[in-house]
Amino acid sequence: MNNPNEILALMAEAVVEGNRDKAASLAARAVADRLDLHLVIENGYAAGIQKVGELWEKGEYFLPELMASAEAMKAAMTLLRPALESSRGEPSSEGKAVIGTIEGDIHDIGKNLVSSMLSANGFDVIDLGADVKLGIFIDRAVEAKVDFICLSALLTTTMLNQRRLIAMLHDRGLRGRFKVLVGGAPVTRQWAADIGADGYGENAMAAVKAAKEIMARGAKP
Amino acid sequence: MSPILKILPGGTAIEARRGETLADVLEAAGFHLSLYCGRRGLCGKCFVEIVRGPVPEPTGEERALLQRRELPQRRRLACGYRIEADTVVRLPSESMLPEMPVFTHGITRSIGLAPAVKKISYALSKPGLSSPPALLDLAKDRFHEARLPESVEALRRMAGEARLPDHQDREVTAVIHSNRVLLAVEKGDTTGRNYGLAIDLGTTTVVVEIVDLNSGAVIGTEAGINGQTRFGADVISRIAAAYGDPERTGAALRTAVVDGLNQLIDALCQRTGIRPDSVYEAVIAGNTAMNHLFLGLPVDTLAVAPYYAAFSILPPVPAEDTGLRVNPRGRVYIAPNIKSYVGGDISAGLTAIDLERRPGNFVFIDLGTNGEIVLKKGAKMVAASTAAGPAFEGMTISRGMLALPGAVFRANLKDGSWVVRTIADAPARGICGTGLIDIVALSLKHGRITPRGRILDPDKKIGIGDGLFLVQKDIREIQLAAAAVKTGIRMLLAGRRLTVADLDGIFVAGAFGNYLNIRNATAIGLLPRIDRAKMFFVGNASLAGARALLLNLPERVRCERLAGKIGHVSLAMGEDFQKEFIEALNLEAWN
Repeated sequence: MNNPNEILALMAEAVVEGNRDKAASLAARAVADRLDLHLVIENGYAAGIQKVGELWEKGEYFLPELMASAEAMKAAMTLLRPALESSRGEPSSEGKAVIGTIEGDIHDIGKNLVSSMLSANGFDVIDLGADVKLGIFIDRAVEAKVDFICLSALLTTTMLNQRRLIAMLHDRGLRGRFKVLVGGAPVTRQWAADIGADGYGENAMAAVKAAKEIMARGAKP
Repeated sequence: MSPILKILPGGTAIEARRGETLADVLEAAGFHLSLYCGRRGLCGKCFVEIVRGPVPEPTGEERALLQRRELPQRRRLACGYRIEADTVVRLPSESMLPEMPVFTHGITRSIGLAPAVKKISYALSKPGLSSPPALLDLAKDRFHEARLPESVEALRRMAGEARLPDHQDREVTAVIHSNRVLLAVEKGDTTGRNYGLAIDLGTTTVVVEIVDLNSGAVIGTEAGINGQTRFGADVISRIAAAYGDPERTGAALRTAVVDGLNQLIDALCQRTGIRPDSVYEAVIAGNTAMNHLFLGLPVDTLAVAPYYAAFSILPPVPAEDTGLRVNPRGRVYIAPNIKSYVGGDISAGLTAIDLERRPGNFVFIDLGTNGEIVLKKGAKMVAASTAAGPAFEGMTISRGMLALPGAVFRANLKDGSWVVRTIADAPARGICGTGLIDIVALSLKHGRITPRGRILDPDKKIGIGDGLFLVQKDIREIQLAAAAVKTGIRMLLAGRRLTVADLDGIFVAGAFGNYLNIRNATAIGLLPRIDRAKMFFVGNASLAGARALLLNLPERVRCERLAGKIGHVSLAMGEDFQKEFIEALNLEAWN
């Protein structure tokens, strides 16, 4: 039987390698062996995703690697989350979000990556797809009682709809209820600030980081 | 008994109906005479020799032409000759419709000289005293079924030019468009000065050719950067700039492109000594966004899904309304858009290579900023736009540049050292599209980058000398661009249940022209592996197509009909798009 540190290292490795089967089988064993699942996620899988982020920054990893790692992580989380929930007796989730590519835009690869990464990092994500009407974003967010709304836009033209959605939230008196995270190729931190968004992620990794920070800021004492 | 018509040279014999016009019978039998004035007996270009058979008295016009040209006996105009008995005719080569090659090398394709703008000179006679016809009627009635133009300014001019000073007989030249509309009447015989413009209105580069409509020859060419580039390198940024602001930004974009074109036109006219007044038509082949911006039409519908255009087919529009500095009485014809972003540059390109009439399955790729692809399977065609991005034009690349003097367009790795060639052999100052492809392919081959695109050198740089290099991010940009095109081809093929093996050929058009190294393009997956004999490089097919549309009116009808029939595929909406695209990022050959 491997010592615990070895197992954690293997888990991280599975994520870095993008090996879905390996990640899943290690997760299944962790559950069966009643290991501390928080530690497993923190020091095992999440550590792997952290490494993937670094490799992305360095240019070593590109979209295919990112996708594969996110999928491996998701596979593990699918097994670990229910076990966590049943042991704690309450749903464990980093936060809840709706995500989609904004009205008028059909590009979704980047958005899919963010969705995967958020899921992989323990968020509950409702992916609304692409060309999502602004009203739908808000209606679904209200219905599912999410913490935040994530908007992706690939074109400078459709980016303008991100501003419109925030205005719509104001009009409906809902601005305070949701955090808004924006992203997409033409989107910048400056733009996010200009339109009054709560956060910005220039890539999937940054999106997860921003989401976690927002949740931490809003955490009740 | 039906009369038999025998045609020399060759000896083909055909049955005709009594009273049928010789020109019609010949046309139907595939013998194309130059029917320049549209069978009106005015131009004298369809004379044939009646070797055996009835030779009726010539008409007044015919006699005048026969005398003026000093033609031998037994010559009659085919457009006026009716077949009454068995006849033998000889077709002189000068009466046949001239054909021009569309490409100077590469594929063979020629078109008949039948331009939309024709000039025909004739004598205007003083009206009789008792029942004097109106001046404009005098001008118009020579041309059976011709219409006067609707522009009041054009009518004023025409009445002025057609006036008979001292009420004497005078020679004038009618300028007629599509055999129907009288554009202008010019004093004297100006038939020798009939020019048109073929324009490739690219997002980045604009090319203008001035063409002699009598001979089909290109007299001069000028190229320049599209004046709109200061609003953005790609079409999307310009659309975004104009979005919701047609009055100011839309107008500014229009001015930028029209001014840029006029500068090129002026330069061309100066250089060739041709007066802009002799130019009565310009044909423009540009992508959808560009032709909308040129006319000042709103582009808002192109900015958001489902990305539809304001127009696809337009009649020729008055030149004076466009701002182009050609004869204001002239016309501007816009090559038809197909759908969405797949526009007139593609329909013109398809015309140039005559894809419709090539039996079999083909792919046509225009490797530019938008990377449009057309797949022909049997009789049907579908098109898609891959939004490859400007990486292939050297933009978004650290040391990238357009294909201008000083650009590295070819690179080789010999004994570990890079050997490059630059355009115009000027000192190397950047790398253009084909150079980038060479460098990536060879780096892959020699193990300096992995198939996943990772640079192995710890410095994360591929240096090629002269201070030029590629960094990791540049490799990624090229991977993205190549993957976009590759995914487009694969998804179009899959959608029609075809494989590369089913293709009879691949036509590659665009800025790369002849510089693209096929082996390297195939190695990185930009193009599929295919028999070299099935790859056709057609350079600037849009420009060649614009010229074909300028010189041959029936081709416009065909082009419009084809444009309407081509299906459009939205790649990003495809279920497998993400999976295909991510996989396509791998640098590897495929088929």
